[in-house]
Amino acid sequence: MERLDRSSVALLVEELDKVYADGTKALQGLELRVPAGSFFGLLGPNGAGKTTLIGAAAGLVRVPEGRIFVFGHDAVADPSARLLLGLSPQEVRLDRFLTARELLTYHGRYFGMAKLEAARRADELLEVFDLTAKAATKPHRLSGGMRRRLSIARALVHHPRLVVLDEPTAGVDLELRHELWRYLRRLHAREGVTVLLTTHYIEEAETLCERVAFIRDGHIVAEGSPQEIVSRFGGERLEDAYLKAIRR
Amino acid sequence: MTSAELRVVQRRGTLALSGREVRRVVTLWTQTILPPAATGLLFLAVFGGALGGRIRVIERIDYLDFILPGLLVMTVAGQSFVNNSTSLFQAKNEGYIDDVLTSPLRPWQLAVAYMTGGLVRGLLAAAVVALVAASFTDGIRNVALAAIALLLTGLLFSALGVITGVWAESFDQHAFVANLVITPLALVGGVFYSARTLSEPWSTLTRVDPLYYLVDVTRAGTAGFEESSVWLSLAVAALAALAAFSVAAALLARGWRLKP
Repeated sequence: MERLDRSSVALLVEELDKVYADGTKALQGLELRVPAGSFFGLLGPNGAGKTTLIGAAAGLVRVPEGRIFVFGHDAVADPSARLLLGLSPQEVRLDRFLTARELLTYHGRYFGMAKLEAARRADELLEVFDLTAKAATKPHRLSGGMRRRLSIARALVHHPRLVVLDEPTAGVDLELRHELWRYLRRLHAREGVTVLLTTHYIEEAETLCERVAFIRDGHIVAEGSPQEIVSRFGGERLEDAYLKAIRR
Repeated sequence: MTSAELRVVQRRGTLALSGREVRRVVTLWTQTILPPAATGLLFLAVFGGALGGRIRVIERIDYLDFILPGLLVMTVAGQSFVNNSTSLFQAKNEGYIDDVLTSPLRPWQLAVAYMTGGLVRGLLAAAVVALVAASFTDGIRNVALAAIALLLTGLLFSALGVITGVWAESFDQHAFVANLVITPLALVGGVFYSARTLSEPWSTLTRVDPLYYLVDVTRAGTAGFEESSVWLSLAVAALAALAAFSVAAALLARGWRLKP
């Protein structure tokens, strides 16, 4: 049997089960490998288990069954795994007592950065995400798009090697969506960061992702490059393959 | 990353979260420091000034000197508790607690960081009351003992605040504990009276209240009068604080009501 070097895989999920208290089976023996350095898309209908999987990897969902590794570090038992992962959740929820700059700075410090280093990184990200003018503004005074950008910036503060973006472009206007795409491509290409993206927009996955996985009822039903998946399931585009895979 | 490097990361993270909690207390001083300080001073004015004329001395101590330690304990206990239960409840309710739950901090470090805010709020409010009261009272006999007693009070009640913040799923639940557990405990903990002057079962019931020991040992520090052994009181308070801290850390480790 092939022996896997876990540290060479950005996210490795082994037989992950999750049943919520109300009996909902969110994940059922889920297996997934997100190669290091890849731009990986996770697609699936609502309730398929995408957010649960991401929550489990980030330490926000309890997982009694199965194992998750981030670059070889056990995501449940080893706190080092948290340093390697940056999460921008689906729902943007920001500390209302802090300004945009403080929010990024505190986040960096929660992840062990020195005060000055965190402040410098916050300024850098505010500039990248065009939020410098709003540095002293508290989150509730920001527009939805700005809050979304701030949430993504927050995920990047501590220089994670795996960035997990849960539907980052949901409810975002077209202009901002393209702007985020440009930034994510740059981040992935220049810094070699692995990106795991969940999205409902198939064209987004098609445009950005080198590999994609379809998730349905808590398990992966297809995984590969968009071209591989299209040739496996048929159709002209990823959208056709997605519909066929999900409806099977 | 070596384990030593990870420890540095976690230490910095703990300090940052503690700083965030203290900052919240200081920024919101009109809500966090001013009201409890005013309440403490009103208690002093009503019980010490108005009623003090009728109850001049209790246990051979001036009544104002007798009630001051209890008021300090009440202030520290109430404010430490409410600060942490509110801060955690808000963070949980509004979802931004995820920011710290995804961090590499260990559960006990999260508990310590949250407790710091409560401790600072309780001690600051009590310091204001003590400063104003200083001109009407005989001063503090044993500052170190009084400080240890108030510190233990803060530790115990800020840990209880963390537990309540984790447990509460609605503002009603949070208020229930504050109004129907903490306040009664404070009022029957021997703040305004001496337990040995009470008849049974009230005397024994007062001694079951952990706050009684905290009030008693604080009084030993401020007025030089105690009903129970100082060491017994300190031991009860320390054990209660340790137990509450352990429960708070265990709940955070389990993610009870924080993680689905």
